[in-house]
Amino acid sequence: MSAPGSWLWLARHEGRLALRDLRHLMTGGGRWRVRNVAITFVLLAIGLHLIAFGVVARHADMTLAVGTRGFTSITGSLLLTFFLLLSQALEHVTRLFYGRGDLDLFRSSPAPLRRLFVIRVLAIAVSSVMMSFVVALPAVNVVAALGGLRWFSALAVAIAAAVATAGIALSLAALLFDTLGPRRTRFAAQVASAIVGSAFIIGVQAVAILSIGTLSPRDFFDSDLVLNHMPGPESPLWIPARAVLGSAPDLALTILGAAVILVVPMVLLSGRLGGYAIATASVSHGGSRPAWGARLFRTASPRQLLQRKEWMLLLRDPWLASQTLMQLLYLIPAGLLLWRFYGDARGALVVLAPVLTMAAGQLAGGLAWLAVSGEDAPDLIATSPISPLYNLSAKVEAVLIAVFAIFAPFLIGIVTHSWTAALVIAGAILLAAGSSTLIQIWFRSQARRRYFRRRQTSSRIATFAEAFSSVAWASAAALAANESWYAIAPAIVAMLVLAGTWSIRPR
Amino acid sequence: MNMAQSVPALRVTGLRKSFRRPAVDGLDLRVEQGKFYALLGPNGAGKTTTLRMVAGLMQPDAGAVSIFGIDALADPVAAKRITAWVSDEPMIYDKLSPTEYLAFVAGLWGMDPAVADRKSAALLELLELKPHAHERCEDFSKGMRQKVALAGALVHEPKLIILDEPLTGLDARAARLVKDALLARVRQGCTVIMTTHILEVAERMAERIGVISRGRLIAEGTLDELRKQSGSINTSLEDVFLALVAEQETAQ
Ligand SMILES: Nc1ncnc2c1ncn2[C@@H]1O[C@H](COP(=O)(O)OP(=O)(O)O)[C@@H](O)[C@H]1O
Ligand SMILES: [Mg+2]
Repeated sequence: MSAPGSWLWLARHEGRLALRDLRHLMTGGGRWRVRNVAITFVLLAIGLHLIAFGVVARHADMTLAVGTRGFTSITGSLLLTFFLLLSQALEHVTRLFYGRGDLDLFRSSPAPLRRLFVIRVLAIAVSSVMMSFVVALPAVNVVAALGGLRWFSALAVAIAAAVATAGIALSLAALLFDTLGPRRTRFAAQVASAIVGSAFIIGVQAVAILSIGTLSPRDFFDSDLVLNHMPGPESPLWIPARAVLGSAPDLALTILGAAVILVVPMVLLSGRLGGYAIATASVSHGGSRPAWGARLFRTASPRQLLQRKEWMLLLRDPWLASQTLMQLLYLIPAGLLLWRFYGDARGALVVLAPVLTMAAGQLAGGLAWLAVSGEDAPDLIATSPISPLYNLSAKVEAVLIAVFAIFAPFLIGIVTHSWTAALVIAGAILLAAGSSTLIQIWFRSQARRRYFRRRQTSSRIATFAEAFSSVAWASAAALAANESWYAIAPAIVAMLVLAGTWSIRPR
Repeated sequence: MNMAQSVPALRVTGLRKSFRRPAVDGLDLRVEQGKFYALLGPNGAGKTTTLRMVAGLMQPDAGAVSIFGIDALADPVAAKRITAWVSDEPMIYDKLSPTEYLAFVAGLWGMDPAVADRKSAALLELLELKPHAHERCEDFSKGMRQKVALAGALVHEPKLIILDEPLTGLDARAARLVKDALLARVRQGCTVIMTTHILEVAERMAERIGVISRGRLIAEGTLDELRKQSGSINTSLEDVFLALVAEQETAQ
């Protein structure tokens, strides 16, 4: 046994909590069945290895001699992994300060808080390393099987990257805390996490579109345009890449660097972390601000009232707003595409029309779920002197207006080029958004808004129907933008999907 | 006036609703205007189901509901205009402040904004919510949330207020505020129907008490009338209640 409050005792406490979370993740809250978990694990492992095989098998014979071209693609993949892990670590660090859980208990106990935080930061590093296993291990296994055990140095680099993300996330959170204060840090960190998670993909796509006009990151790393801007193979920029390929001194440097990045902020900041957590505990969400919402409600018709309420609830919930609106980050490349091919827009429109339609369908699905299933006071609405149909139509309008407000900049950009194209795309957006909204209405089931992310598992039929109808409308939009009458075919498919979904809706 | 007095605030006839088993089983109920009416019954007796059908939250399998003479099943909107519903689990909007919530509710009932403002300010004062009037409800305790929900039910001046276990989870002070607010409404001519499992509350507050068991109204009247019916004079409502329920269970 270890004494309560000791390092070992705290570490075991953390371990137990982590195990519980893992169990919940794998069993979805149900019973822990060894057989089911084992089957899930094996299937997942096989799937990941197959994907990894497709991506990295052809690089198995790569050696240190590949030079800049190989270093560039390795560094690119490392960065991709790194950003992914950093996004995770940022979420975890935010939870460290804001997740109330047992913090109050610890604060009221004689156990040293500083020690607890050091352990928790280490736990974040460990979970980051686990995550890096999921991402990197299949790829390393594949290349090691084909090209030799030397490839396991790549795993060491992935672990180092994971360790570093914990330190960076911690420093970033502390920086946000000191500059923005406890109230805004949470939102800022969540947004940062979402942006970091998608930034790399978007960045690569954006640069690729601007320079070449294709949408694949791989083509970009292989293009001469990039290679001409890269330093020679001796540059320190390539230390991690050389470490991946088995250079011992570079590997030592990488690991040392990662350790420094984690340990220095941890040691410097651990004393202040408790203070941050205390500061978050006294944050009141609303503050005592004048009720501007009341003024908006006073001047509204019942229809406007219901719509303003929907928008207000969304805008006041930074987490939800970022969950729904962050998907739109992926539209940035589409915007760039439009801009780049402004002169000869026909080609760009054929790409843009389906991208915008698809995004509109997905966005509308999320918003409609919030408005219909995520209604916080269903009893109030149902006992108010407003007919259910009126209420539903007001909510549908609220969703469609929000979608159009978000897509308006794109439509305006397109209108200046071609009226007909803008009309076609606006129509496709309306149809895709309307279809998703209908599906969400048919499959509505009361749920807490904070289960927004879980809505997809709670009704798989609705999720698939939404995706199929969005894809079908997107194809129709692409063909219509190309002025092809074949657009009718996917449009019919979309309507069949809707009809099928309607016929199996729960009652 | 005479004419209005003769119309009951609520009349329920032959109300039925089955899930797997009958939850409400041919229930008849009549509540006169201006009364404080308490519905008692063991757990699962069908109280919540009955009130949800009356409030228009659930469609009955059979039966009729009439609120101040309005057929609530045929013209639900007209009935809802004069009715308020408070459920046992206060459902309000986390991201709105009490002031905003009341403005929203007033808007749903189409109230004049100036009148609504006055009433909302008075209710927040009365229920001791004024210090939190501009804070978002997400950090509120259960009792505060219940008070906000109650304010929402009172702000649009309903003629009939239906409450399902409004006092569960409230501390003594909050419970007192809620009870006082309801009694004040009854004095002003409002009709209140409330379920409760706290017999003492029914005993002290209600002018008439209905006892439901297995989806039927098994006894009804003032406390004294109930005593007579159960044949146990000079006993507490608890004894009366237990005797009535036991009697019905052995009868079945
Ligand atoms: N939505 C529902 N689905 C299935 N059964 C229900 C539902 N609501 C209530 N019941 C059942 O109906 C009966 C009456 O429930 P309820 O009206 O909640 O009782 P009370 O409020 O008197 O405790 C119970 O047996 C309960 O299990
Ligand atoms: Mg009940």
